[in-house]
Amino acid sequence: MKALEVRSISKMFPGNLANDNISFSVEKGEIFAIVGENGAGKSTLMNIIYGIYTPSGGDLLVNEKEVKIRSVEDAIKLRMGMVHQEFMLIPRFTVTQNIVIGDEPHKGIFFDYGRAVREVRELSERVSLTVDATAVAGDLPVGVQQRIEILKVLRRGAQILIFDEPTAVLTPEETVDLFVTMRKLQAEGKTILFISHKLKEVMEIADRIAVLRRGKLQGIVNKKDTNEEELARMMVGRNVVLEIPKVDVEVGAVAFACHDLHVRNKRGYETVKGMSFDVRGGEIVGIAGVQGNGQDELVNAMIGFSHPVSGSMELNGKNMRLVTTAQLRKEGMSYITEDRARRGLVMPYTVRENAVMGQHLGRPFSKGIRMDYDKLAEFAEGKVREYDIRPGDVYDTAGSLSGGNQQKLILARELSLPHNFLIASQPTRGLDVGATEFVYHKLLEEKKAGKAILLISLELSEILGLSDRILVIFEGHIVGETTPDKTTEEALGLLMLGVGIDKKVQS
Amino acid sequence: MNITQINLTIAQMLDYTTPILFAALCGVLSESSGVVNIGLDGIMRFGAFFGLLGAFFSHSPWIGLLLGIAIGCLVGALHAFITIKWNGDQTVSGTAINVIATGLMTYLLEYVFSTTGYSPQLQNYFGAQAYRVHLPFLAKVPLLGAFSDLSVMIWFGFICTVLMHVLLYHTVLGLRIRTCGENPKAATTLGINVFRVRWFAVIAGAALAGIGGAALSISSFSGFSDSMPNGVGFIGLAAMIFGKWTPFGALGAALLFGTGQIVQSLIAVTGIAPKLAPGLTLILPYVLTLAVLAGFVSRSIAPAADGMPYYKEQR
Repeated sequence: MKALEVRSISKMFPGNLANDNISFSVEKGEIFAIVGENGAGKSTLMNIIYGIYTPSGGDLLVNEKEVKIRSVEDAIKLRMGMVHQEFMLIPRFTVTQNIVIGDEPHKGIFFDYGRAVREVRELSERVSLTVDATAVAGDLPVGVQQRIEILKVLRRGAQILIFDEPTAVLTPEETVDLFVTMRKLQAEGKTILFISHKLKEVMEIADRIAVLRRGKLQGIVNKKDTNEEELARMMVGRNVVLEIPKVDVEVGAVAFACHDLHVRNKRGYETVKGMSFDVRGGEIVGIAGVQGNGQDELVNAMIGFSHPVSGSMELNGKNMRLVTTAQLRKEGMSYITEDRARRGLVMPYTVRENAVMGQHLGRPFSKGIRMDYDKLAEFAEGKVREYDIRPGDVYDTAGSLSGGNQQKLILARELSLPHNFLIASQPTRGLDVGATEFVYHKLLEEKKAGKAILLISLELSEILGLSDRILVIFEGHIVGETTPDKTTEEALGLLMLGVGIDKKVQS
Repeated sequence: MNITQINLTIAQMLDYTTPILFAALCGVLSESSGVVNIGLDGIMRFGAFFGLLGAFFSHSPWIGLLLGIAIGCLVGALHAFITIKWNGDQTVSGTAINVIATGLMTYLLEYVFSTTGYSPQLQNYFGAQAYRVHLPFLAKVPLLGAFSDLSVMIWFGFICTVLMHVLLYHTVLGLRIRTCGENPKAATTLGINVFRVRWFAVIAGAALAGIGGAALSISSFSGFSDSMPNGVGFIGLAAMIFGKWTPFGALGAALLFGTGQIVQSLIAVTGIAPKLAPGLTLILPYVLTLAVLAGFVSRSIAPAADGMPYYKEQR
């Protein structure tokens, strides 16, 4: 039986056809994946199915009956549930409150919290998704927050579950847990729509895969009959080179060096406990490690957001321990951040403004207190062409761009600043294959140009593919140094977890 | 100062507190749903004038109170229409309401009563003996004696505080109101109609501001003065923030600001006042408001989506 069928669905946004005549059907008990690049229209399509957006045209069928889904209430009545990409949680509320809102156990007008807690506990046991019913949601790790979201839709009796990029925020361990849960739900006869741009995951979990590109359905394939390369080609519309070419460059002088660096995090705990390393011109030094082992604090210290407690930090031979970000930038530091929304861009500002931020003071972009907006636009237009930033109107706000294009904009700005040292912190996080490939190319170009690059990444394939030297960090220490030809993903993975650390290499 | 004087002072402090409390409760309800209502000072002015109008022509403060509630709802509906229906800027809409209230009430005062500055005085108002709640058994108890002879509006304020607490923290509607103020998008995904909830919260809140205005003109005082509400609405907003957007917090803060008012009056009777520059004591409650806000605002957390218009199809 077809649990869900989509017939010729289209959705127009002002100046943008987000979904163009999309049709497919999903069998009951199937895990059906929808893949596509950022901005291909996956989330739009899901929001239509779930009644948040109204389609501009087309029909929806649930259990082989034509339905009109005008609101989320309608979708819930049809036993659909959605686990959103950005969690729909209220951090201040308890787990129970979050799960029951909208369908609260009550006595008359009064909310029966005691019964709600009991119901949540029963449900959590029945589907074996463990949560603490009375904990405050905001205090819980992301993986648990996602469990709350799943419980929320299950409590409402959802038979069709939509997961919108559920792994984007999860650690690898949490992803494994999620997949176990999804299989369990499938075994119970639930139908699952899985939205993703991570091909490896799709190949692992899905039964069939639909590929979207720029709002159009490119095709539906069985997992058995396809592979990652084919999917990538369908998504991007051309051959994608997932392998990273080797580039050999003469290694130059030390650009950045730190010695016995100690940094505290915001709460005052020391999370970088004496790191020493250097980065030379023409080389990429990769930092591998599980998230939360000191990467964030190390980067914060390197970009001048926080000052190290002790140790030395030098850029081009100059002491940089207690300086501001502005001074570091002046000395030649550029910074690509994974946190595009909070650090990389000012979302309500236009592409034009974001492209010159940091070099907006002084000529050619300003004279005295007056900004020369024509110059800004001219510069930004050049960058938009050079980096192929879409849709390409420099008057669009940064927030309206897809993640990949936002990242290109950040690259365009950071690489156009005069620099010889580049910090790339998870530069491909949340990006699709096309944009990832672009970032890799740019990093290699930088290397060819003799820049010193520090790459921090959670993706081991990226670390192994790009780096000339690899530093493994664990609990604030550098626990190993190696090169890509001398190690494997497995060996790195073990080292990252602190297994078999040779005390001698600890610096 | 003897017991009677102390009791009188406390009673007067509660009299000052009540309009501030109603204003703060208006803010709590409205902002819990995510709509800032900076126009509540103006709504109080509407409530104060129309409260007097009703009481004056009907000779019953109850009719005045009803008229105050009605005008509060009406102006609240205007604010809701602008900010929820059309996603207008909440601060601009609120400020417009304040400006309209200032001009329109002055005009109406002169048009209806052919006077300037003050309306005619009421015989029947909530502060009058006939409308007070007499609890003789409390009169002999020290401190509680103050509660033996209060305007019904003061008790009404306490009752509203409790009711608001029950509404926000113990009812289904309250949970939904707070959901809309924290994360309207999440509310939508759970099938809650954010717009309807916000309409309710803004209008019900504005009704409370209307009552607060009436509490000035037909309870604390026996008439409308053109300077009403003297910034009480803004002090109420401060009380809301100081009280961390909770009803009982708002009550505590309103009592503190009410005490500030009474200290000002006490200074006036002790004879120190003439030695100070004229008007200096009058600013005391406002200085207190500023000091409290400067000291505590950073520690008080607003609802996460407070003041943000909600667009359903925003990308």
